[in-house]
Amino acid sequence: MPPESRAPDARPTRRNRSGALDAIDRQIIAALREDGRAQSTAIGEALGLSGNLVANRIRAMDAAGTMRVVAVADFRIHGYRMLARIRFQVHGRSPLDVAHDLAARPDVLAVHLTSGRYPVSCLYAFASARDMVKAAHDVSAGIAGVEDVDVELLNTVYRYRPAIGPIARHGPEAP
Amino acid sequence: MNGPFPETDPLDREIAVLLAHDARTSFRQIASAVGVTEGTVRTRVRRLQAAGLLRLEPIIDIASCDDDSAQAPARHMAFITVRCHAGQMDQVRAALLAMAEVQALYDANAAHRLVAICLVDSVADVATLTNAVFALDGIRDAESEIVLQTIKYNATIGPIATMEGLAPESG
Repeated sequence: MPPESRAPDARPTRRNRSGALDAIDRQIIAALREDGRAQSTAIGEALGLSGNLVANRIRAMDAAGTMRVVAVADFRIHGYRMLARIRFQVHGRSPLDVAHDLAARPDVLAVHLTSGRYPVSCLYAFASARDMVKAAHDVSAGIAGVEDVDVELLNTVYRYRPAIGPIARHGPEAP
Repeated sequence: MNGPFPETDPLDREIAVLLAHDARTSFRQIASAVGVTEGTVRTRVRRLQAAGLLRLEPIIDIASCDDDSAQAPARHMAFITVRCHAGQMDQVRAALLAMAEVQALYDANAAHRLVAICLVDSVADVATLTNAVFALDGIRDAESEIVLQTIKYNATIGPIATMEGLAPESG
């Protein structure tokens, strides 16, 4: 956006400092949940706000990373056929380093450090069963410190609501 | 995950990628980027949405969910993995789906194992939730993992089509 088009009320406001959302933000988000592409003017009319205010709020939330309107695509659009949660026990190396090695792999969609028996947990996407076997072998043989690998193929997904997630620091990234 | 789903092509994928970061990007802009008409982009997006393969929706950052919000506060992510007694999987699944903290649920390795991804307000709530899961009928054992740090996260790709037609979901 060119600087001259920035309206005064587009400046970061309170919620950008606190990282919290206020009541107006939440009303706008609720409207976006109905239709992520709803026009700002239409949302404004429904909420009794100006279209400019709505547009600025959406922009500010996006810039602060507190809320983003994203396109969530099914993994099959990207040519994947299966998903697996793969968890790792680590020996002689920091779990964080192992996590970074995993994160560098494009087919790894998410990596977390957790409190459980397996300190590193990732979501891995595969185009075929053969790819999965190969990846399981690659990570155990190719990533230093990986001790034990638990591969869990997602079978049936009963619920998936990505409505809240760690997006501020971690994306959404380009797939 | 082998349910029937519509065929998609590279154009669908290109459009999904261009919309990924900002689903409010104008279709005109996307049309010129991929070299098709705006009408084609609109048709493709609608078709993918109707098939349950694409959702254009807001995602709130986990750290921005404050306590006084109307919706359930959520500051911590936890995985709860349960093993069920044979024949009790359906009732355990229904009970887990009835819990508001459960944001995602899938069965794994086709072996009486269910994995719930939960959002809770505090570490203490993870314990409360884990105890509530343990108390369900049909549970053999349960294991909870609190996410301590997220190294990578991609909100724009997930198993979104698999719910359709496989398990009726309320809400």
